[in-house]
Amino acid sequence: MSGLDYTQEISVVEGQPSLREIEDLISKPLDSKPDKKYYIALAITMTMLGIGVIALGLSFYYGTGLWGNNNPVGWGFPIVNFVFWVGIGHAGTLISAILFLFRQKWRNGIARFAEGMTIFAVMTAGIFPLIHVGRPWLAGYLIPYPNQHSLWVNFTSPLLWDVFAVSTYLTVSFIFWYVGLIPDFATLRDRTTNKLKKIIYSTFSLGWRHSNRHWQHYEMVYLILAGFATPLVLSVHTIVSFDFAVSILPGWHTTIFPPYFVAGAVFSGFAMVQNVLIFIRKIFNYEHIITVDTLEKMNKIILLTGSMVGYAYAMEFFIAWYSGVQPEQFTFINRAFGPYTWAYWIMVSCNVIFPQLFWFKKIRTTIPVMFVIGVLVNVGMWFERFVITVTSLSRDYLPSSWAYYAPTLTDAGILIGSFGLFFTLLLLFTKTLPVVSIAEVKAVVKGSQPSHGDH
Amino acid sequence: MKNGENKKTNNPEFWKSLKEYYNDPEVLKAKANEFADGVTDDFDPSEMSRVSRRKFLALLSASAAFTATACSDYRDKGDVVPYNVRPEGVLPGKANYYASTCSGCSQSCGILVKTREGRPIKIDGNSDHPVNKGKTCAIGQASILNLYDPERLQQPIIDKRKSSWKKADTEIISALKESMAEKKEIALITHQTDSQTEKKVLDDFVAAYPNTKIYTYELFDSGNRYDGWKKAYGVTPLPSIMWDKANVILSLDADFLGNEGNYIEAMRKYSSRRDAVNNASFNRFYIAEAGLSLTGMSADYRFRLSPDLQLEFILSLLNEIVSNDPAMRTKLNSAAFDLIFRNSLEKFAEKSGLDYGKLVNLVIDFKNNAGKSIVYAGDKLSPDVHYAVNLFNYVLGNNNLYDYKSVFTNRLELSDNKDLKNLVESMNNGMVGAVIHYDTNPVYHFPPELDYAAALKNVKTSITLSELPNESIAASYYAVPINHYLESWGDSNPRVGIYSLKQPVVAPIFGTRQKESILLTWIIGKTEAYSEDIYHSYLMENFKDSVYDKTDSAATFNHFWNTALHDGIISIDESARPPVDFDMANINLLKPSTASGGFTVILNKNYYLGDGRFSNNGWLQETPHPVTKVAWDNYASIAPNTAKTLGVEFGDFVRIKVDERNVDLPVVVQPGLIENFVSVELGYGRENSGEVANGVGFNVNVLLQFNGKSKWIINNAEVAKTGESYELVSTQEHHALDDESVKDFHKIRGIIKEGTVSEYKKNPGFIKEHDHELFGITRGHEYNDVKWAMSIDLNKCTSCSACITACNVENNIPVVGKDQVGRGREMHWIRLDRYYSGTPEEPKVSNQPMLCQHCDNAPCENVCPVNATNHSPDGLNQMVYNRCVGTRYCANNCPYKVRRFNFYDFRDHFADAYYQNDLTDLTNNPEVTVRSRGVMEKCTFCVQRIMEARSESIKDGRKLKGSDVQTACQQVCPADAIVFGDVNEEGSEIQKYREHELGYHVLEELYVKPNVTYIAKLRNTHSSEDV
Repeated sequence: MSGLDYTQEISVVEGQPSLREIEDLISKPLDSKPDKKYYIALAITMTMLGIGVIALGLSFYYGTGLWGNNNPVGWGFPIVNFVFWVGIGHAGTLISAILFLFRQKWRNGIARFAEGMTIFAVMTAGIFPLIHVGRPWLAGYLIPYPNQHSLWVNFTSPLLWDVFAVSTYLTVSFIFWYVGLIPDFATLRDRTTNKLKKIIYSTFSLGWRHSNRHWQHYEMVYLILAGFATPLVLSVHTIVSFDFAVSILPGWHTTIFPPYFVAGAVFSGFAMVQNVLIFIRKIFNYEHIITVDTLEKMNKIILLTGSMVGYAYAMEFFIAWYSGVQPEQFTFINRAFGPYTWAYWIMVSCNVIFPQLFWFKKIRTTIPVMFVIGVLVNVGMWFERFVITVTSLSRDYLPSSWAYYAPTLTDAGILIGSFGLFFTLLLLFTKTLPVVSIAEVKAVVKGSQPSHGDH
Repeated sequence: MKNGENKKTNNPEFWKSLKEYYNDPEVLKAKANEFADGVTDDFDPSEMSRVSRRKFLALLSASAAFTATACSDYRDKGDVVPYNVRPEGVLPGKANYYASTCSGCSQSCGILVKTREGRPIKIDGNSDHPVNKGKTCAIGQASILNLYDPERLQQPIIDKRKSSWKKADTEIISALKESMAEKKEIALITHQTDSQTEKKVLDDFVAAYPNTKIYTYELFDSGNRYDGWKKAYGVTPLPSIMWDKANVILSLDADFLGNEGNYIEAMRKYSSRRDAVNNASFNRFYIAEAGLSLTGMSADYRFRLSPDLQLEFILSLLNEIVSNDPAMRTKLNSAAFDLIFRNSLEKFAEKSGLDYGKLVNLVIDFKNNAGKSIVYAGDKLSPDVHYAVNLFNYVLGNNNLYDYKSVFTNRLELSDNKDLKNLVESMNNGMVGAVIHYDTNPVYHFPPELDYAAALKNVKTSITLSELPNESIAASYYAVPINHYLESWGDSNPRVGIYSLKQPVVAPIFGTRQKESILLTWIIGKTEAYSEDIYHSYLMENFKDSVYDKTDSAATFNHFWNTALHDGIISIDESARPPVDFDMANINLLKPSTASGGFTVILNKNYYLGDGRFSNNGWLQETPHPVTKVAWDNYASIAPNTAKTLGVEFGDFVRIKVDERNVDLPVVVQPGLIENFVSVELGYGRENSGEVANGVGFNVNVLLQFNGKSKWIINNAEVAKTGESYELVSTQEHHALDDESVKDFHKIRGIIKEGTVSEYKKNPGFIKEHDHELFGITRGHEYNDVKWAMSIDLNKCTSCSACITACNVENNIPVVGKDQVGRGREMHWIRLDRYYSGTPEEPKVSNQPMLCQHCDNAPCENVCPVNATNHSPDGLNQMVYNRCVGTRYCANNCPYKVRRFNFYDFRDHFADAYYQNDLTDLTNNPEVTVRSRGVMEKCTFCVQRIMEARSESIKDGRKLKGSDVQTACQQVCPADAIVFGDVNEEGSEIQKYREHELGYHVLEELYVKPNVTYIAKLRNTHSSEDV
């Protein structure tokens, strides 16, 4: 410990690779043919996706009755999955936009990938609101379009806010991601010898010539977009939390939900990014670019947001007691000790207890351990949404209507399918686009910045 | 040219070019010719297409129309045949009502059948009927589904092969004649009909085939009651009870509000004394029972008492009363006095474990209300108990409450056990040539000791008349299909002097005949003798002789008959003479039963399936049991402590063993039962009886006791755990009553508010004492015209569930089946919630019908993203099915959880689309949308009835009044517990209920402002017990 020099910022990229080396390294997966392992991985994710497609096909054919939903529990797995996946997306925007505004250079190595994850996660999430409805073919009714029936949507419904929040989020995330990709497309265009690739890269690089002028505009646009995306990080999950908070159901009707959901989203998103990056850096030899130090910083954020989530759990209990409202009090006692006690304690142990291990630097920097904790965090966060959605509904005001919710195989199939879709998209991403931003990494290599020393 | 002439003076004000400004000749020339040379050459009409503009447009629209039709999903939806000549009295879109008589059970309630374009769609009570007064029960409501049951027998079946009437009739008639020739017996097995004309047909049959013997049975009969009455008074006309005049009621194992006697009448009269809003003085109701019945749930005091101890109980009570009352003592002879004197209430309390203090209170109540109280024993108890009860009522002068103006008629006399044994014996000996099951199912119903099915194999000709397939049909050579009662003529004579007529409201849907006509054909002995009118004219003939002549009516018979058919009812003065004196001679026969070891088993009638005849009716199978809330099964109800001793829980199998017979049943742990006791319902475990009925529940008829004082009460049974378990489905979770974490939630949360009569008298506003002032932050809806609201009086509601089936029929509610009920997806728009408080041994039960509350601040409305559920100007919370996407957010946000979601297309989900076919579709009310999958639905306050009343009022040019509308649940409610109307109408009934001090809203503090007012239940306990 004593040997650390806190006056000097640790370099984001280990060693001092030349710019050419960085280019070669990052674009290597794009230049080489996919190997056997890649195909095996893709086969697995596509199988998962296939299971989901079949489960979904059956649901469309027979109806939502194939799921576990019942009369008090109108929302089950699909809504749980929706909130979970939207949450996963949040880390990406936080890393690419908020950390960018805060000038956190360590984000440069992981931003692209995290942003990609955001888009895929939101795409995955976006499926659920459409499929969970009873008549998905009428989902277009949620869009306010002028029609001869003078029918209009109901702007007091949080579900409608969701429509706008999620679609805005997806659009902005996509544009932000694409703008960031433009210089890299140009680099790839310049490198490639393949004609077809040249055409594609040329098209998408929009005539980028790495000129000073281009960079100037680029930096400004990127900054503005980052500023634009930043509030979305907060607003999207806030609005998703309104789906619950605006209702009058005990356990849902809580003002703490917006910050609590945002913290939870960042929490699970970081865990997911950390999990996947551990593989990426190993497989593509990015250990120098995505350093253990970067991973450690992410773990610190996991620790922070995990503690916030833990605080929220405690505060919910406190407020339930403090409110003096009996149904509210019962809902929370019921969560912890009722029929869903197993789900609740999975949630608490995964989200509150295990991340606390990150107080130890040794654990923060040991890859297998952090990987396991990251997985647990995601399990815990999925269960958090399950606990919120299902336990509150299954036992609400009238004891006569209480009923236990148990998911079906179809529910499980759709959940597996959502992971299949997400990872399939990720795998395709690793082979088609640079998963690390070439331009941004070049900018943080030691020696690439102007320094006073040499003058 | 004009411009050219004045070119200097008249420059154009607007110019396009300088050339124009200076009026260049070229420009002027060009201007004069609109089209330059050559431009118009192409427009030579002769060279143009022959298609005119008109024709072009016509072709365009035609092809558009073709394209549109070709693209549309056109399926052949069947032929639409308009009326060529409109039938008389049928106005399309307008319902016709015909009076008839319900045949769901033996009580023969008067009904009005609502038909639309010639098809019956709903059964309402006939308010002119003096017994049921416009009310019906759950069975009566749902019985319409049997008419449209796709599995009805459609033509005669001979040896499992479809055949024709001609062949069947010919063969059967020759078989009957053959039996006559061979001097073999013809056994005709029937139920206890109350129809005088049907009895005459049977007599005629015996006359035509003198070898015939008529056997009569019921799975559940009132034989013991009649025996007890006969022993007491010698004569048999059994009076009905004036429940409304009784200040104190003690029921001994009698489910008189649930399924004994005419419970419709009993409910009306009983609940008229539970009417807090109209200031009725409350009766006090005690019940002593072993199980927990529907009736028991309403009692002010429940004594948990084994059926073996009932006789001792009533005698001990009598002793306590008589011993201090010399006047009453004089009514007893010495033998009676000796017998009674041997019983002591104190000792009895010790023996039975009942609370002595409460028993003393009961005695005091009886003393204070001698002549104004009633003891009523259940049908299942032995004739001895009935005799003792009659004695008790006689001594107290409670005979006053016997209504000799409304006396039960004598039905066909039941065959006794000896007769049935002899029958089986002669069948086995080959002495019986033919057996006719006259709309009966003895193969299923007869006790196993008879081994009837085996005996039937020794009979050459076996004939079963039935509407639906059943066990007896499967075992018979001939299956003869009969009409549903809505396709039949008939009469019934439920009370002396009351004749209720049955008329067909629809022509027979299949090739069925009515059972009386079939017998008449066989009586005449020629197949050609049958005509559709054969029984109709027979009935008229009989009425002319036996009824019309008694009326000394001035009208012609035809006029009399038509009036009778129109009204559905004829009342003539035939009131029976009250019996003179109590016959005390039989007192010596009373023997207190010996205490039994082992378990006691009671076999009960199911509230909705009757003796099993409604097992193929999905609506009735799906109506949750009023106490346990289990649907689609029967089970063994066992007390919690007994269950603990046996080591079983909800759904575990136990084996009930009586002598050599045994049956395995799943357990329902039921609070409020005596220990070492099992209560089971019959009517389940059907075989060969149709898709819906087959394999539902367990056949417990094997336990029926042939010898003994009661067929249904079995002593010395062994009960043991088998180790296996079974999935029972119920519409309410079974929370352990002693689970502290969920105990008494219904009271804590203000769902159920109740108190006692004395509490109410002391402080009429007691239920509102802890209310807070509520205020909202939003602007409420304004209701300037009509505003609909409902009130439900919990004092009156007995949880009979008639409202559930009435709503099912009115609103086209689908049957979802056992698996879906198990998943909590039953579709009932109104449900009956049941809550327990107190201890598992002595639970207090609170019932509450729960339906959409049509809140003013409806939480469902603001969360629907597409406005599919919204608010009407008259206060209805509306559901627009077409707009509904199915997010289910509304259901999540409904604190009452009354919204129902179509998780499947429930029309075709149940049993391979059992109820989706051309026939069953006819059951649907055409005024109510049939909902598709993925759509939310809920109670609409019968908006179709509101709209009908509204258009009527507009047509008549008057203001719509609240009383113009009756919801289906309100209309059927036998207890008159439901009031519906316009709250803005000054002085309306609903206003009175809404503003009553006992009126409250469920979950008031949520400020959703519900519009269903519940009248708090008052228990009429002794004021000394008030806390």
